[in-house]
Amino acid sequence: MNYTIKHFRILVVVAGLIMSLPAFAAGVKIIANPSVKADSISTEELKSVFLEEKNSLPDGSRVEPVLAKGGSAHDAFVKEYLGKTEASLQTYYRTLVFTGKGSMPKAEASDSDVVAYVARTRGAIGYVGLETNTDGVKTLAVTSGDNLATRRLISRVEPVYPPELYKNHIGGIVRLKVTIAANGNVESAEVLGGNPVLGEYAIAAVKTWVYAAASSKTKTEISIPFDPNH
Amino acid sequence: MYRRVLGLIFVSLCVSQAPTQAQDFKLFDRDVQIHGFASQGFVHTNDNNWLTMNTSGFGSGEFTDFGVNASTQLTDNFRIGAQLYDRNLGGLGKWHPTLDWAYATYKFKPWFGIRGGKVKTVMGLYNDTQDLDFLHTFALLPQSIYPTDLRDTTLAHEGGDIFGDIPVGKKFGTLSYTAYAGYRNDSQYGGYAYLVNNDGAQFNSFAGLQYGGDLRWATPLKGLLVGASRMNEDITLDFLNGSNDMRLHSNPEWTNQYYGQYSWKKLLVDAEYRRYWTDLGTQGVSLIQEDVRGWYMAGTYQVVKRVQVGSYFSHYWINYPISGLLSSGTGHDYDKVITVRFDPTRYMNIKVEGHFMAGYGLPDQYPNGFYAANNPQGLKPNTNALVVKGGFNF
Repeated sequence: MNYTIKHFRILVVVAGLIMSLPAFAAGVKIIANPSVKADSISTEELKSVFLEEKNSLPDGSRVEPVLAKGGSAHDAFVKEYLGKTEASLQTYYRTLVFTGKGSMPKAEASDSDVVAYVARTRGAIGYVGLETNTDGVKTLAVTSGDNLATRRLISRVEPVYPPELYKNHIGGIVRLKVTIAANGNVESAEVLGGNPVLGEYAIAAVKTWVYAAASSKTKTEISIPFDPNH
Repeated sequence: MYRRVLGLIFVSLCVSQAPTQAQDFKLFDRDVQIHGFASQGFVHTNDNNWLTMNTSGFGSGEFTDFGVNASTQLTDNFRIGAQLYDRNLGGLGKWHPTLDWAYATYKFKPWFGIRGGKVKTVMGLYNDTQDLDFLHTFALLPQSIYPTDLRDTTLAHEGGDIFGDIPVGKKFGTLSYTAYAGYRNDSQYGGYAYLVNNDGAQFNSFAGLQYGGDLRWATPLKGLLVGASRMNEDITLDFLNGSNDMRLHSNPEWTNQYYGQYSWKKLLVDAEYRRYWTDLGTQGVSLIQEDVRGWYMAGTYQVVKRVQVGSYFSHYWINYPISGLLSSGTGHDYDKVITVRFDPTRYMNIKVEGHFMAGYGLPDQYPNGFYAANNPQGLKPNTNALVVKGGFNF
């Protein structure tokens, strides 16, 4: 029996390693200065903030984007969240700057510099690789809803990190599709991507979350990072 | 001469700053950003002289421009800035710096903002960025839509805009609008002045009211943008013809432009159509009518991180339907272009471009690249051009 459990654990670890590789390769954490009230941000809001279309979140928090000058987290963020290439992003910002419609956003040399800038700058919001130490800043969950109106998160419980996976340095981003009832309770959640074991723990936590009430049920996508270095 | 020296000093300063990004400093506890750019080109043509330069023979390097701007965000919603621009392109610009734009913007909401001052005019895909060489793959934008000798006529207005982005739902994309009104005043060193002065008259001014708008739709199909622009003008051309002061008033003058852009991964495809109509006269009598129609289709592809290639076909057609001050007639210029752009660093670029042109428009009557004064020997039907251009920005 012990033999079977041991092998099951090994299988979980190996499966986790394999399945979390893409998340590590392309995964980023969205971080914000603790002054930012929101605990989550939608993909649409994230794109609007970094393209300088908006400078505040629906809860009224003023935000200022900060980029990395390069690196895998930067490449992944630009491609997946902004839908641009590095060249087209630079062209976009330069168009704003040289027609007077915007500023060149702050760009830091490394992930740790991004964390340091975000930690000391009120309203700053940035992105870093999953393995970056993010002490002093908060990590925002990223949501992607069918409807554009993001439900405000009132109560959030962080998921338990399975000790076996934590010990073996297995992490990644779990993407969940969540249905929120009109009264704000989470009705259901299913894993869209990421390590399935981490997914179970993420679902257990998310089902305890409470959102602001709305006139009808809504669906949203949430990304929850599991950072083995944090 | 002193203007050229000042220009060279600026370019030298820019070169010394090139490896860095923007120059930021604090002023009254506000971040102020300083940015700039410069470019230098060389053009060689096989036969006809082009763009007011003596390009046939060895070629011409009288193809320089630069600009510098400063801007700051005063509050979350309020920003101000200004940009100086100068260029020397053969007989155009002539190192006379201009205030390119200088305005204040207040953005009440993402869907509603206002701008006031000297504002770059939003029209089509590239009207407001046509001087910004480093933003484009091509050394010269399609001259059927963005003639560099007529940049003044549509580039900016002294007045105001209202603008905003309106999300129309995830399934329908985003609409962006701009409406504007203001005063246009052509440079004494632009294409109209060059043409009039070289026709034996003396250009005084070409100025008046401009108003219009732009509506563009970022469609739900990722990467696809379509839009339309309209410009109305109520302007007066003032010039001295011998001893007669001629004042011709527009009745009416307008431009319609339709465009689309599709980007997919490293591929970008643009297409635009523009029609410009003017009827200039005095005391109810039309003396000049111009019907200018242009379109182009362009594609660019980023081959590797620092190399882009591109090609476009540009179709320009002009009609003078009446004989008044000038005789009636039609002309065209069809331009096939291939380009390679190389960016040695993030802030520098070098472009090599070939133009294969058929036709030369109406060189005595309308400024669009070819001028009779530059080609006293007469114009040949075809022109091939090599354009090499380098630039940087910070």
